[in-house]
Amino acid sequence: MTSLAIHTEVKEQASAPATETGEKFEEKVSVRNLNFFYGDFRGLADVNVNLYKNKVTAFIGPSGCGKSTLLRVLNRIYDLYPNQRAEGEVLLDGENILSPAQDVNLLRAKVGMVFQKPTPFPMTIYENIAFGVRLYEKLSKSELDGRVEVALQRSAIWDEVKDKLDASGLSLSGGQQQRLCIARTVAIRPEVILLDEPCSALDPISTAKIEELIDVLKKDYTIAIVTHNMQQAARTSDYTAFMYLGELVEFDETSKIFTNPKEQRTQDYITGRFG
Amino acid sequence: MALNSTNALYARRRWRNKFATALSIGAAGFGLTWLVLILLVLVIKGVGGLSLAVFTEMTPPPGGAGGLLNPIIGSLILTVIAVVLGTPLGILAGTYMAEYGRYSKLTMVVRFINDILLSAPSIVIGLFVYEIMVAQMGHFSAWAGAVALAIIVIPVVVRTTEDMLLLVPNTLREASAALGLPQWVVIRDVAYRAARAGIITGILLAIARITGETAPLLFTALNNQFFSWDLNAPMASLPVVIFQFALSPYDDWQQLAWTGALLITVTVLGLSILARVLSSKKVAQ
Repeated sequence: MTSLAIHTEVKEQASAPATETGEKFEEKVSVRNLNFFYGDFRGLADVNVNLYKNKVTAFIGPSGCGKSTLLRVLNRIYDLYPNQRAEGEVLLDGENILSPAQDVNLLRAKVGMVFQKPTPFPMTIYENIAFGVRLYEKLSKSELDGRVEVALQRSAIWDEVKDKLDASGLSLSGGQQQRLCIARTVAIRPEVILLDEPCSALDPISTAKIEELIDVLKKDYTIAIVTHNMQQAARTSDYTAFMYLGELVEFDETSKIFTNPKEQRTQDYITGRFG
Repeated sequence: MALNSTNALYARRRWRNKFATALSIGAAGFGLTWLVLILLVLVIKGVGGLSLAVFTEMTPPPGGAGGLLNPIIGSLILTVIAVVLGTPLGILAGTYMAEYGRYSKLTMVVRFINDILLSAPSIVIGLFVYEIMVAQMGHFSAWAGAVALAIIVIPVVVRTTEDMLLLVPNTLREASAALGLPQWVVIRDVAYRAARAGIITGILLAIARITGETAPLLFTALNNQFFSWDLNAPMASLPVVIFQFALSPYDDWQQLAWTGALLITVTVLGLSILARVLSSKKVAQ
């Protein structure tokens, strides 16, 4: 579609400049003039941003700035609640997922999400993974076993759980539970993975494991991560979007955002002057 | 000013605290005393009549020897039918309220009416079923008794199912939906699973509740001196037999009433303990 792009504001939308290196990235998800409402409260105001294929995009900003809200639009999980609605366009491979014709279950199988708090299902470790897979594919027992193993391996938790696949998912530690949730998401082979503060409830060791994991996963997936940890954004992402009060203030390559932001507000936030 | 025990304000507060604590303990002790007395009398009077015959012989005519076999079996049959009729209805309604219609007006209306039904006097329910079933069919029947009991079961199960499902964290529902699971799969495989212990507790409490109900059966299943499997005929039940025998002037009937009362109490106690144990692990997360 377009040759890559850095949208800082609505007006620049159509004329995205190429990166310095001249690399071309494919837009996997493209958010166009998105507004979001919690009842009468406007949670997002005219947001424009892209997620590029096989890249990691980080969303930073103070609490309540709309980062999580934006992520929750991308798989329409907000649909679970009345009084929440989105206006504008979110294109996934060019298709507007906000259209009423979009089947939300199929969308969510394509756009996976991992939440802040680990949420293993009250079933065995094996079932936690197999459960979602079975719903979309008819696999033989051995194929399913293989799929579960691959998912757990890719999520760097296989070695820790391979001897206790029949144990309850709830018996794992917080960090293991979160990797189990990532494995569960990976197992149904999504195209995009949304990570909503995936490490905020984890210790530094588990956090490091998940960050390594993100680096591996981006080879196959397009990833968006919301984080309060600036170092994490700098370490894991290729692009960073800074949001403030429901607006997308600045969106650029991560290295630029952290070394040479265009906006004063971005500068203030990353240097810790507010937020 | 230093804080020490001679501080008048503090001393007064301490005295008030002691006084309130003493009042609470006294009230709890007062209530418990009567409960223990009731259980004690029941055991003392009831245990004497316990024998194999209680479980193997029919209710006797006055002065004759016999047991409580027909009311025990009758109570079991009535309870099973009531639970089979009432539980699915209750669980489905509770599921609608907690999952599909959580934010709808209908749910608020149903919850309000359900709460009224929950505290409705059981004799009213008995009269209602008498009107719609017994009067229409022209005779008392086990079916009518079971329906009356089922009407008591429903609101209990609706309430506990809704409450237990509401306790299942929304994060779990979001996580399931985020995998692309349709809502009915989320409810069946995630929400029910997480709330299972609590829902079963509700069913046990409903059984405990109907085990001792007499009033709704008086107008519906009535009583039967003989053993009967016929659901279209009157059927004996423990509470009604206790009611009849306890009011009689015959010593052996009164003895059977005490024994029956003991059986019911032990059953209810057992169910309540089981429910307690299960509800201590209400929601799996």
